[in-house]
Amino acid sequence: MILAVLFANAEGNILIERFHGVPAEERLHWRSFLVKLGADNLKGVKNEELLVACHKSVYIVYTILGDVSIYVVGKDEYDELALSEVIFTITSAVKDVCGKPPTERRFLDKYGRICLCLDEIVWKGYLENTEKDRIKRLIRLKPPTEF
Amino acid sequence: MAQQLVKKDDDRDDEAEYSPFMGIEKGAVLQEARVFNDPQLDARRCSQVITKLLYLLNQGETFTKTEATEVFFAVTKLFQSKDMGLRRMVYLMIKEISPSADEVIIVTSSLMKDMNSKIDMYRANAIRVLCRITDGTLLAQIERYLKQAIVDKNPVVASAALVSGIHLLQTNPEIVKRWSNEVQEAVQSRAALVQFHALGLLHQIRQNDRLAVSKLVTSLTRGTVRSPLAQCLLIRYTSQVICESGNNTQSGDRPFYDYLESCLRHKSEMVIFEAARAITELNGVTTRELTPAITVLQLFLSSSKPVLRFAAVRTLNKVAMTHPTSVTNCNIDMESLISDQNRSIATLAITTLLKTGNESSVDRLMKQITNFMSDIADEFKIVVVEAIRSLCQKFPLKYRSLMNFLSNILREEGGFEYKKAIVDSIVILIREIPDAKETGLLHLCEFIEDCEFTYLSTQILHFLGIEGPKTSDPSKYIRFVYNRVHLENATVRAGAVSTLAKFGAAVDELKPRIFVLLRRCLFDSDDEVRDRATLYLNTLGGDGSVVETDKAVKDFLFGPFDVPLVNLETSLKNYVPSEEAFDIDSVPKEVKSQPLAEKKAPGKKPTGLGAPPSGPPSTADAYQRVLSSIPEFANFGNLFKSSEPVELTEAETEYAVNVVKHIFDRHVVFQYNCTNTIPEQLLEHVIVIVDSSEADEFSEVFSKPLKSLPYDSPGQIFVAFEKPEGVATLGKFSNVLKFIVREVDPTTGEADDDGVEDEYQLEDLDIVSADYTLKVGVSNFRNAWESLGPDYERVDEYGLGPRESLAEAVNTVINLLGLQPCEGTEAVPPNSRSHTCLLSGVFIGNIKVLVRLSFGLDGPKDVAMKLTVRSEDETVSDAIHEIVASG
Repeated sequence: MILAVLFANAEGNILIERFHGVPAEERLHWRSFLVKLGADNLKGVKNEELLVACHKSVYIVYTILGDVSIYVVGKDEYDELALSEVIFTITSAVKDVCGKPPTERRFLDKYGRICLCLDEIVWKGYLENTEKDRIKRLIRLKPPTEF
Repeated sequence: MAQQLVKKDDDRDDEAEYSPFMGIEKGAVLQEARVFNDPQLDARRCSQVITKLLYLLNQGETFTKTEATEVFFAVTKLFQSKDMGLRRMVYLMIKEISPSADEVIIVTSSLMKDMNSKIDMYRANAIRVLCRITDGTLLAQIERYLKQAIVDKNPVVASAALVSGIHLLQTNPEIVKRWSNEVQEAVQSRAALVQFHALGLLHQIRQNDRLAVSKLVTSLTRGTVRSPLAQCLLIRYTSQVICESGNNTQSGDRPFYDYLESCLRHKSEMVIFEAARAITELNGVTTRELTPAITVLQLFLSSSKPVLRFAAVRTLNKVAMTHPTSVTNCNIDMESLISDQNRSIATLAITTLLKTGNESSVDRLMKQITNFMSDIADEFKIVVVEAIRSLCQKFPLKYRSLMNFLSNILREEGGFEYKKAIVDSIVILIREIPDAKETGLLHLCEFIEDCEFTYLSTQILHFLGIEGPKTSDPSKYIRFVYNRVHLENATVRAGAVSTLAKFGAAVDELKPRIFVLLRRCLFDSDDEVRDRATLYLNTLGGDGSVVETDKAVKDFLFGPFDVPLVNLETSLKNYVPSEEAFDIDSVPKEVKSQPLAEKKAPGKKPTGLGAPPSGPPSTADAYQRVLSSIPEFANFGNLFKSSEPVELTEAETEYAVNVVKHIFDRHVVFQYNCTNTIPEQLLEHVIVIVDSSEADEFSEVFSKPLKSLPYDSPGQIFVAFEKPEGVATLGKFSNVLKFIVREVDPTTGEADDDGVEDEYQLEDLDIVSADYTLKVGVSNFRNAWESLGPDYERVDEYGLGPRESLAEAVNTVINLLGLQPCEGTEAVPPNSRSHTCLLSGVFIGNIKVLVRLSFGLDGPKDVAMKLTVRSEDETVSDAIHEIVASG
């Protein structure tokens, strides 16, 4: 299960968050834990370089893309490797929508589209789509090209 | 706001200036949402408003029920628009709002229409939305379409239906299970993702049908699986099948191993890792099977991608727990990871190295870790401290450098959990390695000089009170303890007073000085501290001159609190305040659930200060006390050993009886712990009739019956036997419980006047050889072996016959002898063909015994054993051989 996908800006404010199967009372804890993890480790990290951590039986893969830090949390079958696949799909889709690693402003400009991409990639805790070209078409309700 | 959003692809000059959502406010956005009701829909504007609504939801904003209903109804109007982008937003918005059950009906017809639309993408999205908002009845209506969708030629539609199936399986399993034919077909799909989703769903549908899963795995491992994700799933299911099919490692043909091994050469890293992990986690994996997996994992240790390094070191860390030698090859790569930027990777590398390292590498390793400790978080430090503790237990000779390390990190900054982990480790090392005691205690003393945690200070003071007086120079600890009385809060001061009293009681020469210090505590500002000081001054008695302390006082200060707290609590609750004072002797001493609790936590390790010696020593003390309170046992001498309780009744019978065997030099006492579990009965004159006809050399000398045994209030019966002195005499005893039953009215608690005589058959009881040996460990087996010398060494070889495994044979012999396994040699590595096990202990008559057992597999299952015994007495060496020969 992919427990959470979270986007935050450089100040640690949440831009988008999606939780799956995480009780509401635990979300605040996760939010602050992830933002602190990013603040401690993401300084000076190159765009899209993946960082990894584990907390109890849960895995976290996170990275930075432009002004935005992205965190993906999973457990069981979504271990660090599966999550790196998920985050790779997410970063590719976001870059595709924004045209380049986004500034915060640009990310917010494309907010609706990014939400749609996320909707195509992760659905209630499961990875659904992985290819950015297909996702790009799907969010415009266009069928995939290879079909 | 809308204007801000229109701006799209301009240069970034003013990008950072303001957020497109700056000043966004829920009320205003809800107002804007009225555009959804316009007869002429502006698709672009509507999309913008939906984006704002999404932003609000993502910022944690919540809508009231009315607001959500209004938005939902308005959004449904947007189905009229043919704009594709807007329609996509509408689908997302409906999912985000999750309309309530009574509102769903508004959109179902629109969604059903989309589900049958010619436009594939409408179908896919409608399926996802419907599945999100549907309930059982609606699902039955759309089931037909979903089944079609699973085999739709458009992969997006098929995936949407399959992933919906995965979610719906949780709520409506009976419906989803009917789709297995279609799902099976989808597993063969050429589209990679469809195959991945279908495989996941099919496995979930069939997970309880072992045969079906096995068939699925067999067919797919032969065919082609396109997506790496699906391949990972297949590997997981394969290892599950391997695990359930038992292992055929003896013959070397483990099913599906070739498949797993071939996956190690897959082009996707994800698949390689999954296969490597599956191999390392195989039951009883052999070194030959492990090698290829370890080799690929080793390559990943030097990968440039942190995720791969992490995955590799995490897997190797697990392998190191069971097969440390297989991982040693990776040590050099692992050492370079200690300086990894990613602290999770570095910690895993360190803990792995600590598991695989040998005695000679300890010092080098400690040097590397010292530099590393300063820049990791507490949670990682705790992991390292725990690893160091087990390393020290493994190599007791290295205690000096490891203890130094622990004391150094104890001085540095850290939170409570971290400090507690260090203190616990030091305490365990002090308990297990006698040489480490004095240095360890001094480290703890230094720590409490500047300890901010009251809990840790009091626990350490308590520990000092017990261990300090037993050292060569107890006086050097007094200063540290007395300083607490001046500088700490009341809780710690009270703890320090108790510790001082213990020193006074245990070390007669110190008594005058302790008296002076305790008298000063009489002027403390806290009641508890003053009370304790007064109590101890009175109990220690005298005027503080150098006199020997009474045994009763020592028992009071050092003895365990032999009343179980649960029983005390119950008795206090039942106590009605009256003229008569509460009598602590009225509290039952038997812990009812003790045997059960022990069964639940087998092999539980001692846990530092958190659990002061509450295990065997205190039980032995308690037994000694109970026995010495019975005058007939007074001349039996010292108690050699008390066995674990042996159950003589099945669980949940009318009367629960277990027995503890107390072994003396010339006597054996059976303590029958009886509990009456029937509220309507009162038992009186309860005795155990013991038939010792199959124990010739034992003769009954005394029996102490139980006057009454009320409901749920345990009582004890004792039966004593005489036996030949200092000899391990064996025998079998049969037991019958005899009593008079009186009926009790549970409402009034009154018993009938008339009683009926009755009896109850108990299980038989054996006195076995292991009852005459005490488990006493040695810190260094080799030294102990050399110092005992070969004078009374006896060697012989035995054939143990066919055995289930080598480990089972080793275990049987250990249990038969009842000796303490040393240096972790009781653990037999899987698949080994030979094994040496070291045992130590004390035989009745206080004779030290050391045993070296060499096992070897002779043929496929036959086990042969060479038994070498050294002891302080040749008869004991022979006796050990006799135990094995007759066992």
